[in-house]
Amino acid sequence: MKKTNIEWTKIPVGRRSFLQGASMLGLAGATGLGFSGNAFADGAVLKTRAYADMRSLDPAFSQGVPDEEIQAPIYNKLIQYKSGSEWGWQLDAAESIEQVDGTHINFTLKDNIGFTNGFGAMTAEDVKYSFERIIDDKLESSNKPDWSALDHVEVTGERTGTIVLKNAFQPLWSITLPYIAGNIVSKKAFESVGGKIDTTPVATSGPYMHKSWVPKQKTTLVRNPDWKGDPAAFDEIQIYPIDDEKASEIAYEANSIDFTRVSLDSLDRLKSSPPENTTVAEFPSLFYVWVGMNLSNPKLGNLKLRQAIQYAIDVPSIMQASYFGGAAPSTGIIAPGLSGHRDQSLTGIAANLEMAQKLMDESGESNVSLTIDILNKSTNVTTAQIIQANLAAIGISLEVRLHEGATFWNLGGNEDLELILNRFSMTPDPYYATSWFITEQAGVWNWERFGSEEFDKIHTDAQAESDPVKRNQMYQRAQDLMEESGAYKFITHEATPNIYRNTISPALRPDGLPLYRYFSKA
Amino acid sequence: MLSYILRRTGLALVITVLAVSLLFVIIHMIPGDPVSTMLGPKASPELRAALEERMGLNEPLLIQIGLFFANMLRGDLGIDVFSNRQVTDIVLGQVPYTLTLILTSIGWSAIIGIALGCYSAANRNSFGDRLTGVLSVSMIAVPAFVVSLYSLLFFAVTLKWFPAIGAGEPGDFGDQLWHLVLPSLAIGLSWVGYIARLVRASMLEIMGEGHVRTARAFGLPERWITYRYALRLAILPTVTVIGVGMGFLLSAAVFTEIVFSRPGLGKLVIDSITTRNYPVVMGSVLFSTLIFVASTTLADIINALLDPRLRSAR
Amino acid sequence: MNKPAKNNSEIVEIFRHLIRDRLGLLGLIIVMLIIGSALFAPLIAPYDPVALNIPDRVQGPSFVHLLGTDQLGRDTFSRVIYGGRVALQVALPTIAGALFLGLVLGMIAGYGPKWLDNLILLFFDTVRSFPTVMFALAVVALVGPSLNTVIFVIMATSIPTYGRVVRTMTLSIKTSEFIMAERSLGASTFRIMSVHILPNVLGPLAVLAAMDIPTVVGLEAGLSFLGMGVKPPTPSWGSLLNDGYSLIRNTPWLIVAGGIPLILITLGFTFLGEALRDVVDPKLRGRGGAK
Repeated sequence: MKKTNIEWTKIPVGRRSFLQGASMLGLAGATGLGFSGNAFADGAVLKTRAYADMRSLDPAFSQGVPDEEIQAPIYNKLIQYKSGSEWGWQLDAAESIEQVDGTHINFTLKDNIGFTNGFGAMTAEDVKYSFERIIDDKLESSNKPDWSALDHVEVTGERTGTIVLKNAFQPLWSITLPYIAGNIVSKKAFESVGGKIDTTPVATSGPYMHKSWVPKQKTTLVRNPDWKGDPAAFDEIQIYPIDDEKASEIAYEANSIDFTRVSLDSLDRLKSSPPENTTVAEFPSLFYVWVGMNLSNPKLGNLKLRQAIQYAIDVPSIMQASYFGGAAPSTGIIAPGLSGHRDQSLTGIAANLEMAQKLMDESGESNVSLTIDILNKSTNVTTAQIIQANLAAIGISLEVRLHEGATFWNLGGNEDLELILNRFSMTPDPYYATSWFITEQAGVWNWERFGSEEFDKIHTDAQAESDPVKRNQMYQRAQDLMEESGAYKFITHEATPNIYRNTISPALRPDGLPLYRYFSKA
Repeated sequence: MLSYILRRTGLALVITVLAVSLLFVIIHMIPGDPVSTMLGPKASPELRAALEERMGLNEPLLIQIGLFFANMLRGDLGIDVFSNRQVTDIVLGQVPYTLTLILTSIGWSAIIGIALGCYSAANRNSFGDRLTGVLSVSMIAVPAFVVSLYSLLFFAVTLKWFPAIGAGEPGDFGDQLWHLVLPSLAIGLSWVGYIARLVRASMLEIMGEGHVRTARAFGLPERWITYRYALRLAILPTVTVIGVGMGFLLSAAVFTEIVFSRPGLGKLVIDSITTRNYPVVMGSVLFSTLIFVASTTLADIINALLDPRLRSAR
Repeated sequence: MNKPAKNNSEIVEIFRHLIRDRLGLLGLIIVMLIIGSALFAPLIAPYDPVALNIPDRVQGPSFVHLLGTDQLGRDTFSRVIYGGRVALQVALPTIAGALFLGLVLGMIAGYGPKWLDNLILLFFDTVRSFPTVMFALAVVALVGPSLNTVIFVIMATSIPTYGRVVRTMTLSIKTSEFIMAERSLGASTFRIMSVHILPNVLGPLAVLAAMDIPTVVGLEAGLSFLGMGVKPPTPSWGSLLNDGYSLIRNTPWLIVAGGIPLILITLGFTFLGEALRDVVDPKLRGRGGAK
């Protein structure tokens, strides 16, 4: 698989990485946040926060959550994520959609969806255009991998068609169709402007329309008067880009926004004394954080040494100090609720110093001094210092090397990396997690240079496996392999605590991310 | 005089070009580039090449610098590769925030500083003078970002008197002013003391000079001498100091903008350096340097206008 | 005016003056306290500044932890004390280096040919013309954050301050009748510089340097605050403030504890410097000391 895109959140769009100390650094976007108190007086306006400013309104070039949060309400997809605590999808533009066999999916569009600006009804041609343009080499779409399995879309009628895949691809239903690459654009509209757009949509079809974008300050969506589906609940949705969660909390408390993710260290305070008329909701998250060890570095060539490190790291301390008790330890790269999640890890959660010391003695290594590379963010700095202390207990001295985002995300190609504290984003399909650790990814995203033929085979086979039980076992085995290599110590999946005003009734994915088009007034 | 102005302006331009080029070189030496930041580490070579070409990164560094200045003369600072917006627009969108912050800070601190300085000079060696002296030195001493943090902690987080983040609702003047209070307090505080001492010292110097003594001998009221005569001359060095101080103010503004999550040049520079967004880095650095160089030059010229002795020196 | 270096009786005189000047004395005491606590940190600090104690994390002041603890349960008071070491570790080499280079460049500019003077001045003006923090950002991004990076950045940006003062003084001494006479008697440039100019420049420069220490310490703290300074777990006042900033809604104590020593050291050195200046060169009054 060729991975050419910027991961939707793997690269920290908001550059929050950098000034980790400045954790209150809202993006410049905080500008728009008045404290004049008139903020949510009007119940027909939903004011909310995005963690970074919008980058592109073209589904082929969107880069992550902040873009999708705007696109999802203004475009339609064949299917959308369902809100609630379990992953699933619901129909959107498709009246019906059905997997005929491993590589063929038939769909029929609803007949009441039209594009704005006079670009007419949505047809199967638009679907074909929207999906195929992403795999068109000439367009250089950054989201091409999401449709990597697509061969073509066959138009069988005005509103019917068949998605034809090159190979069976289970993640289509959990990642591709209901996410960015699944947004349907108007062929006519896009062709009228040369085949792609930047930050101004030419024609949209969803319940909301894009009204304006003040860079770094806010994006405003308004009700689409021609929308025929379930009516949009708000006259206006205002999305403020605020980089930092602390800043968002302050904005929330000042009534400037009605919905935001908050930081874990505020959770206790918010739960014990929530702002008036507010719900604090905790959601799991799919992110995964781990300590990696570069297998191709001779300093870490000794398996016993790596295992000693695995056993020496005390995850409960990290949960306390870095995550303020708000997150749970993880067992791998696949979060609870997804296929392939393991109930337990092989090396345990709390440090086992006896075991670690024993392994250390067996390893025959002494005077070990290592480095750990981390992204410059206060959580990471705290975690790294705990690991530093943990390893000191078994006689390993560890130097913490801080990097800001642009440097950190380019470390992968660096042969002499030693330990890395890393955090990847995740979509709701296990395939997405394993795809970064195959041999081919060594030095790209697989910074540990972990290489296992069995793992690679599981990754390929599991994509097409339609038996959920087998698929589950395959991914569990994959994580065992990772851990057995001694190159990984899994830390956490973090958590997504949200707060919102009781005047709204949010619609959230199981990982707490908002689906604004389904938000309603309480 | 004209030749002095021309010479000084020419020099200012040379300095700007040198400073911006120097930073250009440093930034281009930093590992990590916008192309991989945008495309991920294993982007296809064609994709990389296309983007590099669009950003002009495939040219030799000197040519890139040359092109940058050539385009600049046409008012074109390039395009932000991430958002496809004109860099000029992006930077100009942030400049007012920083300028407002700096000017407000300088404004209030100059008013209070000059008043305190006058008072001290007029009541030399009184208790008030000494108190002002101690307070001034103390105020000069405290780093602006510590004042920022303390005022954020006490006035915004604990007392909730003032907003903690942002620059206020666009278009709502009162709200924006409200958001300016703490940041400009933080930046201006050390200048109050500084200006007060400066004014006091130069007033004392002037009041010791012959013609003031003459005026006094003629029985002109002391108050008149202090405020009408000495003060006017004493403000001169203040102008220079403020001019030269712009650079420090910009640095202080960077911290303050971060602490208070205010938009502005400082935050823009930091954000763009960390993403290796070269065009935006260059644009914002150019503007900061221009602000600094322009203010020092202006201060020099004003001084030269008022004091001809300075014209031959630099 | 062009006397050789100060003799002992003058140093005694300076001290006498300091003791008479109450603020100067206060400054001296503060400075001594800070230097003393940095030197004897292991004796004073009740805890190991990097020892974790996670169960006792984020506490307020108590008899056990005088200034409370941070997110890792480390004793804030001990970190403040050890932070003084970091501050001085940065300040002393930085100032020394900038002083030396400023001295050399300034004397060359002042004494050398006009074109060289112009060139050096241009260099000074260029370095000064972008804000220190932006320069620091670029360099830190280039070579990674570390104590040495901080020292380099601050040193590079402080050279012009010293250089300009030295240049001005060299210029004025150079044209004095005394030096003219020496020169006509055939004294070498080196002799004139080392015997006549250097000693005269040193006094005021030392005062300037003393007053510059707080600026340097403040900058180090600022860079560490931005996460561009010392490496964890090294306690620096700036990294304390950094931790405090991210925990501002959980505890105010980290910010309070990180800020106070910064204020104290600035006050101490400023009071001391002011007093020294009055002795060494009354004409310098009212100059310098801007941040």
